[in-house]
Amino acid sequence: MADRKQIKSKYTADRQIPGAFEGETVTRRAFMTTTGQVAGGVAAAAFLLPALGFAFGPVFEEYHQPWQVVGNTEDFGPDTYVPRTINLVEGIGDSGKSTVYVRKFNPRVDQVMKKQDEYNNYIAISTSCMHLGCPVHYVNAAQRFICPCHGGVYDFVGKVQGGPPVRPLDRFYTRVADGKVLIGPRFSVNSELQRFSPRDPGEPLDGVGQYLYPSTPDLRKIPGTGGSQ
Amino acid sequence: MNKQQKEEYLRGYGVMKSQGKPFFPYAIAKDSAMACIVMVVIILMAVFLGAELGPKADPTTTTYTPRPEWYFFFLFELLRIIKPPALVPLATIGIPTICMILLFLLPFYDRGPERRPERRPIATTAGIFTIAAMGYLTYLGATAAPPTTIDVPVPKNVTAQGAAAVATYKAGQQVVAQSGCGACHRFGEAGNAGPGPELTKVGARLPAAAIQRTLLNPTAPMPSFAGLQQTSPQQFNDMVMFLSSLR
Amino acid sequence: MAKIKVPAPPVPDQLKPKPKRPGKTYGPQTPVEHGAEAGASTVGWIDERTSLSGGARWMMFRKVPKGTNWFYTLGSATMFAFLSQAVTGVFLAMYYDPAPKGAYESIRHINDDVFLGELVHGMHKWGSSVMVVLIFLHMGRTFFFGAYKYPRELNWVIGVVLLILTMTMSFTGYLLPFDQRSYWASIVGVNINGTGPLVGPYLNDFLRAGPYFGATTLSRFYSIHMLLVPGAIAALMGFHLYLVARLGTTAPPWLKPKTAEALREEEVAA
Repeated sequence: MADRKQIKSKYTADRQIPGAFEGETVTRRAFMTTTGQVAGGVAAAAFLLPALGFAFGPVFEEYHQPWQVVGNTEDFGPDTYVPRTINLVEGIGDSGKSTVYVRKFNPRVDQVMKKQDEYNNYIAISTSCMHLGCPVHYVNAAQRFICPCHGGVYDFVGKVQGGPPVRPLDRFYTRVADGKVLIGPRFSVNSELQRFSPRDPGEPLDGVGQYLYPSTPDLRKIPGTGGSQ
Repeated sequence: MNKQQKEEYLRGYGVMKSQGKPFFPYAIAKDSAMACIVMVVIILMAVFLGAELGPKADPTTTTYTPRPEWYFFFLFELLRIIKPPALVPLATIGIPTICMILLFLLPFYDRGPERRPERRPIATTAGIFTIAAMGYLTYLGATAAPPTTIDVPVPKNVTAQGAAAVATYKAGQQVVAQSGCGACHRFGEAGNAGPGPELTKVGARLPAAAIQRTLLNPTAPMPSFAGLQQTSPQQFNDMVMFLSSLR
Repeated sequence: MAKIKVPAPPVPDQLKPKPKRPGKTYGPQTPVEHGAEAGASTVGWIDERTSLSGGARWMMFRKVPKGTNWFYTLGSATMFAFLSQAVTGVFLAMYYDPAPKGAYESIRHINDDVFLGELVHGMHKWGSSVMVVLIFLHMGRTFFFGAYKYPRELNWVIGVVLLILTMTMSFTGYLLPFDQRSYWASIVGVNINGTGPLVGPYLNDFLRAGPYFGATTLSRFYSIHMLLVPGAIAALMGFHLYLVARLGTTAPPWLKPKTAEALREEEVAA
């Protein structure tokens, strides 16, 4: 065994391989094996990678939601919500619509933020339950949002009151122009109602949640509107 | 299984196989008969149950109660019974993933040579338990009412008072259910256990006047129903009547 | 009772085929004879070039152990349900329109207008339930008979993958009729995937082809439902079956093989 190891040199010429060249270290068999694997891998990657990129493309494409008018400023009071239908996705008809609950900012229940900005004069709350996305509805008698799927309940400002939802109901940016209320992109809030880039339901934002469930490049909050306010 | 057990099994299996019958036509005949039964079942179901199509998808709805297909009921129920928000990923991803991994690795941790179910008590018990658990969860999921309904039988003292009282009771039950009281209070089988106290027998603990006072002037985080009393006193009174007759 | 064998009646000499003269070529001569032999000769022609008959004989005439009973038909029944799903699915695809504006109407059209439309749609819909039931029964049989043990561990693993793929089929097929139930169940299902830490949010966006249910979400589910997963199921099913034929189906666990002595005694007695 020992002397056998001795003959094993890295040069093919030393190993008495017929037709070896001076200074050659790769046997022809090893060369052909490597060629076969590399060429096959390149050929497979040539159709797999573009196809995968094609399929995953939408994940990295930023989606811009246009501002849309939902009514006049006097349509919305501070004490109850008014449901309004908005277009989340253009071009697919009714399937791209969604319902939001809109009301005027109410200093009695809404905390005045340190940096009160133009996006907060009206509160627009998404109807997607933050447990797994079922449609919540607002019950005026109890001033609660109730989810029919797994028993989630939210209070008047959208904070979780009971059941499994992991964070308060998402909101939409609102703006006032020419006496009209406009609704813009969606954002998510943590339990202190601080703004975050939109997340999907079921993804907590408190503690390590915001790092475990990163925001995706296709949907961002308006820059400079996040964090503690 | 060690090497000797493996060889013993293969030898025994070889003997059993040599005493068996050819796959074609003996096993094929049974398989084909079974295929016929499967097709008969499928076609009968297709003919008699049809391919019912619900209303068109409407993302703007706020009144629809989504429910999955029956074979996902066990997952659905798992999501319903695991309430704490911190455990949501456990219910959605954690438990199903663990179960799948356990299922995948079954032949690698259960390596004993014994194959008879009655001589593998742990495996057989675990299997029966899993089937029973899935069956039970499926049953619970299938019968789950939306949280906006409360299913409490009409108490005897109400039925004794006649049809008008029963109607008021039913109306109040509906108001209570649709107001989402079940989010924090338990009513028999319906509603969440906490943070509010259980209301299954609240009428026995508190008189109607006290219930009314609590509804109008509750301790936080319970919302006040004073607004409801002003806008529709009828509904509010139904609600008080319903709660005070729960005993 | 012993069978009585009746001898065949004698054939008159005129009806007996005449022996061939020496020097004459054998095999079919007239077109009629060729026609009669067409089936056998086609099979022979193919087999001469592919040698498939050996494999077919290996698959079909292998022995199955003693005691093979009706429980052993659950696997093939699952495969049959899959075939039924594949065929009805292909024909449903001829009328289906995987676009958010047209999906519901196309299913409505299949149900109401197309000849046998509701039957084929119903067979596909209920066939999925039957297939799920059968796959669970088949798995239960395998579990309680200890059939996942040596040497069939790999076949169990493939079976679990097939179970997951079947559940994926049910999930992706769910959205396609695009009624309320399918829409909301899909929303919840997609969000369930999203609760996986780190990768979940990206997986969601991949499944929906964007942040919201959009123009290509349906066609994405459709493509997964009718191309990606069925292809994988068919391939794995083939491998599953190969392993079944290679390793043999198990005997029921309560049957014990006779010892060599008992076998010899039986042989001597016979």
